[in-house]
Amino acid sequence: MNCYLYDGTADGLLSSIAWILEEEPDPEQVTLRERMDTLFEEGFTIGTDATLAESLFFRLKQQAPDAAHTLYSFMLAEKEGMETSLLHYVSLAFKHGDKVKGYLTHPAVRDIVNVAKKAGRELHRMKGLLRFEKLQDGAYLAKMAPDYNIIHPLAYHFSRRLRAQHWFLYDVKRRMAARWNNGTLQFGTIEQFTTPALSEDEKKVQALWQVFFKTIAIPDRKNPRLQKSNMPMKYWKYLVEKQGE
Amino acid sequence: MLHLPSLSSFLHYISTMDTLAKLQILSGAARYDASCASSGSKRDGPYGGTGNTSSSGICHSWADDGRCISLLKILLSNDCIYDCAYCVNRSTNPGERASFTAREVIDLTLDFYRRNYIEGLFLSSAVMQSPDYTMECMVRVAEALRTEEQFGGYIHMKIIPGCSSELVRKAGLYADRVSVNIELPSQASLQRLAPQKHKHAILEPMALIGREITTSLVERKASHRAPRFAPAGQSTQMIIGASPENDFQILRLSQGLYKKMNLKRVYYSAYVPVIEDNRLPVLAAPPLLREHRLYQADWLLRFYGFSAEEILSDDAPHLDESFDPKTAWALRHPEFFPVEINRADYATLLRVPGIGVLSAKRIVAARRFSSITPDGLKKIGVVIKRAKYFITCRGRSFEKSDQPPALIRQRLLLGESSEAPMSILPKQLVLPGLFA
Repeated sequence: MNCYLYDGTADGLLSSIAWILEEEPDPEQVTLRERMDTLFEEGFTIGTDATLAESLFFRLKQQAPDAAHTLYSFMLAEKEGMETSLLHYVSLAFKHGDKVKGYLTHPAVRDIVNVAKKAGRELHRMKGLLRFEKLQDGAYLAKMAPDYNIIHPLAYHFSRRLRAQHWFLYDVKRRMAARWNNGTLQFGTIEQFTTPALSEDEKKVQALWQVFFKTIAIPDRKNPRLQKSNMPMKYWKYLVEKQGE
Repeated sequence: MLHLPSLSSFLHYISTMDTLAKLQILSGAARYDASCASSGSKRDGPYGGTGNTSSSGICHSWADDGRCISLLKILLSNDCIYDCAYCVNRSTNPGERASFTAREVIDLTLDFYRRNYIEGLFLSSAVMQSPDYTMECMVRVAEALRTEEQFGGYIHMKIIPGCSSELVRKAGLYADRVSVNIELPSQASLQRLAPQKHKHAILEPMALIGREITTSLVERKASHRAPRFAPAGQSTQMIIGASPENDFQILRLSQGLYKKMNLKRVYYSAYVPVIEDNRLPVLAAPPLLREHRLYQADWLLRFYGFSAEEILSDDAPHLDESFDPKTAWALRHPEFFPVEINRADYATLLRVPGIGVLSAKRIVAARRFSSITPDGLKKIGVVIKRAKYFITCRGRSFEKSDQPPALIRQRLLLGESSEAPMSILPKQLVLPGLFA
């Protein structure tokens, strides 16, 4: 069984998968993991090639758009130690096309699909649970601390939705930010984050939302367990309606 | 000297009541409307405007009762001229009255939407002055949101029974979803509890909406510039447990609405006693278990290929309280089982208790690659706790075959711990002679 190593980056991962699929007769018998540079590390290191990584993704998108979407969601999760599973999954996706997502009896497919599903679920959740606050200068800011690195697709979602607004997303955990202004979307990292001043009417609108949130529940049907299972407490920190609970 | 506040100062009080106080009254009055869906419509946001819709729908929060919040659900007014026995807004019910101005609703919607609190607006209203007057006020809000504010988010509008068909058409052009509440499952109950509402005033706009939706879909196939009419379809709601209809009558009604009126959803709302009235039953608590079972049966109608007549009959017109309707059906039809996981078609798999749409699809997809082993079945995520009594896998059964239904019934009852919390919910109190 051949063992390959890569540099630990996303581009490195995808380009080594592309390389293995090209060179190895039976990719499913091959393992792939991150290079640790330990003394007795065994395996052949594959160099990183961003264009190769990109072309792999586009080829997959053409042959199996669903599987490419799964691959994209999987990469958002930034999971370590699953490189071999991903290699086998991509190899199977080229072989079977989009039908591969049904091959859940295969351990690699199951592992990749499960992780991708978790990341996809959080992305969908954050589309609803993100809360913007209006700042003094009229821009809007939303802070979040998601488990997965979803800022890119999330910002894209809001660029279609809140087109006329000037807004920022800030991932507190990863110190990453997105900015939308006048039709352009930018990404970057923020070293020192200071919360800017809120606009004058912001607290008033938040109070309106808090009142709505309280009164829309039917008192005879209180169900805190269901509420928590739909909206886990880890997301409450940035929810206007859950402040002070 | 007797000093009474003049009428004009009272009116002044009403109009200066601040938005926060109005919101409290008018969202509190809207909470008994069950619908909160924001799905089924896909629209790109207008350039330079605010908002789009997502076909899967997005939930933005979950209220203390566990129900999802995706729309700003409010009444335009709770100042009703009608006197429906079950309704919190009935004219003879004392309580604070309030009405929003169009501007207030528009500002609330946009302020909430821009902060991503909501997916859009759900606008309903008590009947002020007349159905036409009320509907016109509501349509004006939607029109201003769409044309003046370039709002592209989701709008769900209630149709006020008895308003002109012109207003129904207008509402459908601005809204993503429209709904006419059927309120009660029969004409007799409607007459008894909501004497000012008439069956034809409810069914006529429903039929009109159905026709308009079909026309719009046909026209949009020819040209994408043709106007959309309620792209997310129409829905309705009925109150469960305020009137004597049995579950079979209710399910047959829903089946008819789905088949003949092409409705997207029928919502069932367990009757919550909000006011006392001698025409209403006395309940210890809302009939939540009955509502839950009706929703399960409703799913069987829409996604599982069942008919109302398969689920219930004149001899057994009530849904079983201890079993979900599919398990109840399976126990009555031992001749249908066991089902072989590796051979049965999709429709047959769907009939197995414990196998839902997702599991059935997974089974069909996975067996393309290789036949499914009992272990593989668990690995692809099929829960066999209930299904094991009804299936075989590569010819092998999970349980001793040929168990009599009575024994399976007993073992299912003992084993269904997940359903246990539901069974301790208070049942509906039936008072004999009340509906004589």
